[in-house]
Amino acid sequence: MLGPPRPPAIEARGLTRRFGAFTAVDGVSFEVAPGEIFGYLGANGAGKSTTIRMLNGLLAPTSGTGLVAGHDVARDPEAVKASIGYMSQKFSLYLDLPVRENVAFFGGAYGLAGATLARRADEVLARAELRDVGDVTTGELPGGLRQRLALACAILHRPEVVFLDEPTAGVDPLARRTFWRIIRDLARDGTTVFVTTHYLDEAEYCARIGLMVDGRLVALDTPAGLKRTWVPEDVLVVRGRGLREAAAAVAGRPEVKNVVPFGAGLHLRVAPGSLRPEDAARLLSAAGAAEVSVEAAAPSLEDVFLAVVGNGARRAEGAP
Amino acid sequence: MNDRLRRSLVRVGAMASKETLHVLRDPRTLALALVMPVLMLFLFGFGVSFDLDHVPVVVADADRSPASRELVRRITGSRELVSAGEADPAEADRLFRRGDAAAVLVVPAGYGAKVARRERIALQLLTDGSDVTVANQVLSKADALVRAETRRLVGVDLARVDPPLQVKLWTRYNPAGRSALFMVPGLAAYILAISAVLLTALTVAGEWERGSMEQLFASPVGRLEIVLGKLAPYLALGMLELLLVVAFGAAVFDVPVRGSFALFLLVGLFFLVGMLGQGLLISVITKNQLVATQAGTMSALLPSLLLSGMVFPIENMPAALQLLSRVVPARYLVHALRGILLKGNGLAALWPDLLALVLFAAAVLALATARFQRRLA
Repeated sequence: MLGPPRPPAIEARGLTRRFGAFTAVDGVSFEVAPGEIFGYLGANGAGKSTTIRMLNGLLAPTSGTGLVAGHDVARDPEAVKASIGYMSQKFSLYLDLPVRENVAFFGGAYGLAGATLARRADEVLARAELRDVGDVTTGELPGGLRQRLALACAILHRPEVVFLDEPTAGVDPLARRTFWRIIRDLARDGTTVFVTTHYLDEAEYCARIGLMVDGRLVALDTPAGLKRTWVPEDVLVVRGRGLREAAAAVAGRPEVKNVVPFGAGLHLRVAPGSLRPEDAARLLSAAGAAEVSVEAAAPSLEDVFLAVVGNGARRAEGAP
Repeated sequence: MNDRLRRSLVRVGAMASKETLHVLRDPRTLALALVMPVLMLFLFGFGVSFDLDHVPVVVADADRSPASRELVRRITGSRELVSAGEADPAEADRLFRRGDAAAVLVVPAGYGAKVARRERIALQLLTDGSDVTVANQVLSKADALVRAETRRLVGVDLARVDPPLQVKLWTRYNPAGRSALFMVPGLAAYILAISAVLLTALTVAGEWERGSMEQLFASPVGRLEIVLGKLAPYLALGMLELLLVVAFGAAVFDVPVRGSFALFLLVGLFFLVGMLGQGLLISVITKNQLVATQAGTMSALLPSLLLSGMVFPIENMPAALQLLSRVVPARYLVHALRGILLKGNGLAALWPDLLALVLFAAAVLALATARFQRRLA
């Protein structure tokens, strides 16, 4: 397995887009490996959709370069378009047509016809778990199924890379879970997935996450790596009686960064791996607290997001 | 190379069949395309008539002799002018204001005596000039009737006089002077212009509004492929409308098809391509269904109605409007259709019209395709 490394499926180098005086995307650089699920996070207006539109050939970059499936997005947008699938933020299929007709249309748009089209249509409808609703008018489908249909239409021509712009916006949690199962299957079969989302819980499914703040990519790592970098402390959730009085016993220790009363209990933020829950429980019991239970709570991506958005600019400029 | 062409055709075909499905599934589009033309043909065909018919004339007979009564009977006994009662000439204004009469015929006292003595008599005809069309027709009809009555009265005497100049009228192509014959070709242009421009303006602007245009731009479908795939079904629909209008014209208003049917189709085809292109251009610029509808209606309806020669003769327009009418394709279609349907004209007479239609279609399509950028912002 140690052959020459495969070229990245997506490569952005200093990708920049200005609209007049406003810089929507500012010198963004990253690589996405083939078959990787790459999450792109950021607040509204952070430049997520603009980045996608530059990478799928819809918008010319003001400066910088983008390579998608080996094609330059500025010089050869047509080659890029033929090798990608795109699901735009706004649901844009034809509501008046049945599910199969939408699939057939997008198949035709990618040059598929006849037996090939029929085979691929069956294939993507099966993959998106839509086989039973093939003849239903698209407008009658619930939101979750519409999103899956949009995905089905985007992967019909077996693109190397799919761009999904907030694919699960406004969809219920169960439908989102199904959607992500399909995405993971797709990536396992070798399709590179570039996905933007608002939902931090689903960002956990991504192999790596890029975080956008005001047009700049301020953090880029695996979910675990982001948590290590941005929320370095462990969080210990303590419950019991007489905690307030016992807190002083742990507060003075060097590995404890912060002690915060939280309801009837305490949240201890400690240096990673420095204080195991059972040790903390022992210390507190010794200091007089009773019925103490301590659980380690993992920092969530939400903690990361808040930390990044709060300090994003400073870190991006100051940190090496 | 061959494969590229095949894929391109597949893409155009996919666009066209999707568009056809939209039309078939939307009863409003079908109604706009097929019911509206028939409805308008009936409305205009029966409603808009320049044939003078049963115009009310009030009589002020101050003579009340057998001779004067005979005159009144002759004038108001025609199908065109009918008597609407008697009144004093002073009441004319009131009658006109209330719309009870379009004209008042004043017969002076002593009419009968003067006729017997063969003296010159001045009859008076007051007309309501607020509707010029009616007033003019009342005048010419009354003039003709009075002249006929004069001939009857002087009889043999006048027959002996041989006037040096005589005009014998012979109206070709529409001997009965029926409005419908002259209206149906004009209506065809009007109906096709509106529905073709609106259909494309709505459907292309709809793709922008829905966001599916962005989805299409991110696919390998080229802009010419989008244009061709979008227009083909509406072109077919438009041709169907044209046939419908002419078929109804023939069945209901006895409009003949004297010239070449192939030439008729060819002229209609190029007119439609131009109108569809105009709708496309509008929607490419506006990207919004509401604005596209308004712009489409204004740019298709008014010129085809006012500047096409459908109702108002272009020759009578001020020079500036005549010049403007030269860029209104409906003008050429109206002229060509009247030529083909009524006169049986061929390509020898109509090539300038055909050429103008082809030029307009090519220009507007080129402009629309150039404005139609597959990139955003």
